[in-house]
Amino acid sequence: MATTVNAANASSRPHHTLWGDAWVRLRRNKLAMAGGIFIIILALAAIFAPLITPYGFARQDLTAILQNPSSKHWLGTDGLGRDVFARLLYGARTSLAVGIFTQVIVLGIGLPIGAIAGYAGGRVDNVLMRFVDVMYSFPDILLIILIKAILGGGIYQLFFAIGLVAWVDIARLVRGQMMSVKSRDFVAAARAMGGMGPYITERHLLPNSLGPIIVSVTFNVPRAIFTEAALSFIGIGVRPPTPSWGSMISDGYAVIFASWYQVFFPALAIALLMIAFTFLGDGLRDALDPKLRH
Amino acid sequence: MKRKTVVFSMLAIIIAAILVLAPACSSGTTTAAVPQILRVNLGSEPAQIDPNQASWAQEKSVVSQVFVGLLGFNQDLTLRADVATVIPTVANKGISADGLTITFKLRNNVTWSDGQKVTANDFVYSIKREFDPTLACAYASFYYDIVGGEAYNSATNATDAQLATLKDAVGVSAPDDTTLVVKLNNPQPTMLQCMALWPVYPVRADIIAKYGNNWTDPPNYIGDGPYLLTEWVHQDHLTFKPNPNYWGTKPKLAEIDFKEITDANAALAAYQNNELDIVGVPSGTEKTFLNDKTYDDQRNLFNDLTTFAFQFNVTKAPFDNVLVRQALSCAIDRDSYISNVVGGIGKPALSWIPPGMPGYNATIGSQYAFNVTKAKQLLAQAGYSDVSKLPQITFSYSNTAANTVRAQFLQGQMKDNLGINIILDPEESKTFTTNVNSGKFMWAYFGWGADYPDPDDWLPSLFGTGAGNNHTLYSNPAFDALSATALKEQDNTKRLADWDQAQKMVMDDAPIVTIFYRERFNLVKTTVKGLKTTGMDGGIIGDTFFNEVSISK
Amino acid sequence: MTRFVIRRVLWMLLVLLVVSFITFTLMHLVPGGPWSREKALAPAVVAALNARYGLDKPFFVQYANFLLGILHGNLGISYTYQDRSVTQILMQGFPKTAILGTTAFVFAMIVGISLGMAAALRQNTWIDYVCVMFSTIFASVPGFVLGILLMIVFSVVLHWFPTGGWGSPSQIVMPAIALAALPAAFIARITRASTLETMRQDYVRTARSKGLLERVVLIRHILRNSLIPVVTVAGPQFAALVTGSVIVETIFSIPGIGRLFVQAVFARDYGLIMGTVLFYSFVISVANLVVDILYGVIDPRIRYD
Repeated sequence: MATTVNAANASSRPHHTLWGDAWVRLRRNKLAMAGGIFIIILALAAIFAPLITPYGFARQDLTAILQNPSSKHWLGTDGLGRDVFARLLYGARTSLAVGIFTQVIVLGIGLPIGAIAGYAGGRVDNVLMRFVDVMYSFPDILLIILIKAILGGGIYQLFFAIGLVAWVDIARLVRGQMMSVKSRDFVAAARAMGGMGPYITERHLLPNSLGPIIVSVTFNVPRAIFTEAALSFIGIGVRPPTPSWGSMISDGYAVIFASWYQVFFPALAIALLMIAFTFLGDGLRDALDPKLRH
Repeated sequence: MKRKTVVFSMLAIIIAAILVLAPACSSGTTTAAVPQILRVNLGSEPAQIDPNQASWAQEKSVVSQVFVGLLGFNQDLTLRADVATVIPTVANKGISADGLTITFKLRNNVTWSDGQKVTANDFVYSIKREFDPTLACAYASFYYDIVGGEAYNSATNATDAQLATLKDAVGVSAPDDTTLVVKLNNPQPTMLQCMALWPVYPVRADIIAKYGNNWTDPPNYIGDGPYLLTEWVHQDHLTFKPNPNYWGTKPKLAEIDFKEITDANAALAAYQNNELDIVGVPSGTEKTFLNDKTYDDQRNLFNDLTTFAFQFNVTKAPFDNVLVRQALSCAIDRDSYISNVVGGIGKPALSWIPPGMPGYNATIGSQYAFNVTKAKQLLAQAGYSDVSKLPQITFSYSNTAANTVRAQFLQGQMKDNLGINIILDPEESKTFTTNVNSGKFMWAYFGWGADYPDPDDWLPSLFGTGAGNNHTLYSNPAFDALSATALKEQDNTKRLADWDQAQKMVMDDAPIVTIFYRERFNLVKTTVKGLKTTGMDGGIIGDTFFNEVSISK
Repeated sequence: MTRFVIRRVLWMLLVLLVVSFITFTLMHLVPGGPWSREKALAPAVVAALNARYGLDKPFFVQYANFLLGILHGNLGISYTYQDRSVTQILMQGFPKTAILGTTAFVFAMIVGISLGMAAALRQNTWIDYVCVMFSTIFASVPGFVLGILLMIVFSVVLHWFPTGGWGSPSQIVMPAIALAALPAAFIARITRASTLETMRQDYVRTARSKGLLERVVLIRHILRNSLIPVVTVAGPQFAALVTGSVIVETIFSIPGIGRLFVQAVFARDYGLIMGTVLFYSFVISVANLVVDILYGVIDPRIRYD
């Protein structure tokens, strides 16, 4: 009976999938689109920086250090006379890469572990969470110093170092969400219809628990940028004079009594990036929320 | 969206306004009777304030308040007799003619803070304790010329009986309470200067025996100096009050507070909030504080006996070629660094030994004054007229705010003047030290501060073949021979002439590129009177003369 | 429940053992040691020091000695601070860090949860925008910058508080604010996200359509059910705050234990490193245990099989 009805309606009703529907709804969300476009424009500006600014990020002008914004240097100069705007643009390369790619690692590890622990429960949950406890207390500074000593301090080592411990928060978050959502009625219903673990997780559990996860990812973006700055202290990551927003803030902090612009502009950049991710993230959550489906 | 932007920009403006207004506020509040309290910032927690074991500048600052030794340094860095009655010389028979015996006559009115008399035995105990292998004192090697010192200090696996014998064999003795005799293996003209340093300040054998490791906690920390350590709240602060039984001129201050503020900006804020009387100017902000009129009568600048340089590993190409080293030295505009980057604080350095101490010679190294043409010529002579043929140069340094700027300055100089791209390798402190000490570097940041004001301390241990602090791996037999002679030369004029020649040798060979001599830039409240800074100051400026400081309105 | 707690405590001991072993190994692999310094110590001196602290013994002997010490309740001695016992150092600093951390935590929770919930209930109004803006600013400005700004405004300009140190209540205010800023921002956003999700659930619609007062709906239905993710992040946040923040304690010169671990690593103070790592691990494990217990209290449907 149902099949005949569906067949009859098939031609008149467009086919909606979860993700396709989500994309449509996302597109309609103006703030989310603004956020996404900002990120894309920033990425393009970072890539095409040489076309946007005549100054390189390493061009020193020792006679013009710590200058205020002017027509010559839109955002002023730093302690070695380098143009701050140029350094922000080039720095976006590092900071965007770090901010975005570490989320991939963090989600790639944290999401599955948290989901499996939360859904499976029992012994699996216990073992995984004790592993998480170990990682929470893990002396990452020691490991990072060791990595630098043995493997050197390049960008891959940086991703490894940041991703190593950052996934634990997401894992616990996802697990908590799983545990509370899996006992709900619609999950029982899905199971009754014959759904298996991964299907249920992907189709029902995750979309219903995305909110806090997306918030966590949004907060991880500036967190990763600051971790990168802290790691550059140990010598991992990009090396001077290659700029990154986090290092610009650290360097600027040292001379904050001479010029507060050094801290202000990179912090502003990070704030704008985070807002963009926030809008995008909120939009994504709304788009994937099954309750808002038509 | 609009509302958000408005609120956000308002917040930004408020923050901006506050930051602009902040430095303009300096406060000075005094009440009727001016409390004689001096508040200074020690920085980090001192690890060891036991005089024999102390080694860092902060520790020295603490020890200098509570202890006085046989000799001390005047403000012009000449020696001064403190517990000793006079400085021993050959003329007054204090030093034997062969230079192997030094006899100190002590004053007989010197007392400990608990009233007991300081005797020569306290010095004998202290010097022997400095060599004690179980304590592993950092400065023990400075006194190795004392008979039996090195043997005792190196006896790590000896039995108790063996240790006792070695200890007895150390060449210090006290024929009576006011006479101290020190026997040397060879004449060492600078031994007197070493005897003015804190590792051989007197310590109380009975107190140490009674309290063990806890003897450095107040009230057990008994000294013979002008102040008593009355309180030590770990990681927080130390408080000093005048020693009631001080045998010398009573200090004017009623209290000294050593705070432990590690962050330079926080310390400056504390100074601006009138919680500190002396503070260091954060590195990189020098120009601002030089030009700000509100600080006109608070600026305190003086030459420190510290030189900063970049050291080559002379075994690694291309630095195994002296011409390359010299070329790079000529390609660095030190004057620009000093006047532009750090607002004029410090002096460009072309030689190694800094001004303000014997051995300084302004003419040495002048051939490396900034000259790009000459640099290129030297490179061409070395076979590198095309700089792309040079092996990749890496410059390592310990990651601090100031070093980051200096390293990038160097990078800029190499690129702009010679077209050479060097890679910067910032490292965390101990990793950096370990790498440098084991030769795992090409070119590294490097600094040296005087332990005592003599070329003795600046040349042999740094440039002698295989010497303990020689990380450039520089080796010059002529230099070694000259050092060996100069270390024992009793004729001071000849000795200094020898060292001058030695310094010239080193600078000609350029295993290091000297960059600048440090100048300390501090802010001092106008209420602080009598502050005397010297090139030998420890962690806090003027700390060797705090007994002369007073606070006015 | 008691069986659950006992089992978790046993697992915790295993976690502590694993963490201590990893730390011990890494510590000895890392270049440099407690005695490496720029003006190098004479080799004889270094040998003497190693002998004195047992560093010349084989690796596993050293580790075994450490474990034996733990069994006797001895966390070791500091190599750089005049052989003071690690326990004593921790006991001196911990109360200060704990007070500061707890104050900051309470502040963060109160501000975070109320702001987050208000933002969710009044989505897209001015309070929602304040929430987003506040959380963005405090996440984009690192702790040391926030700290120095607070210091400049409230100490140097307004003279309301001393710039740092410890001892009087006025010295807790600024560090607590600096410490609470990021957690408050994070908790606010998590609360907001979770509340938004809960609000869209069917049972909330049902409750409202039953005619219940909004206040009742809020407290009886929305609040409890939104709290799961908040509790999840609150646990580790509390542990982190109570074990201290390097940055805030450095800027405000708080003599607590927040700086202890990082300083010990950079000084290669082996004794202090081991002692503090064990302590932190213990606090984190307990915090996660408490969180798991709270899950069961908040959401009765959650069961540990």
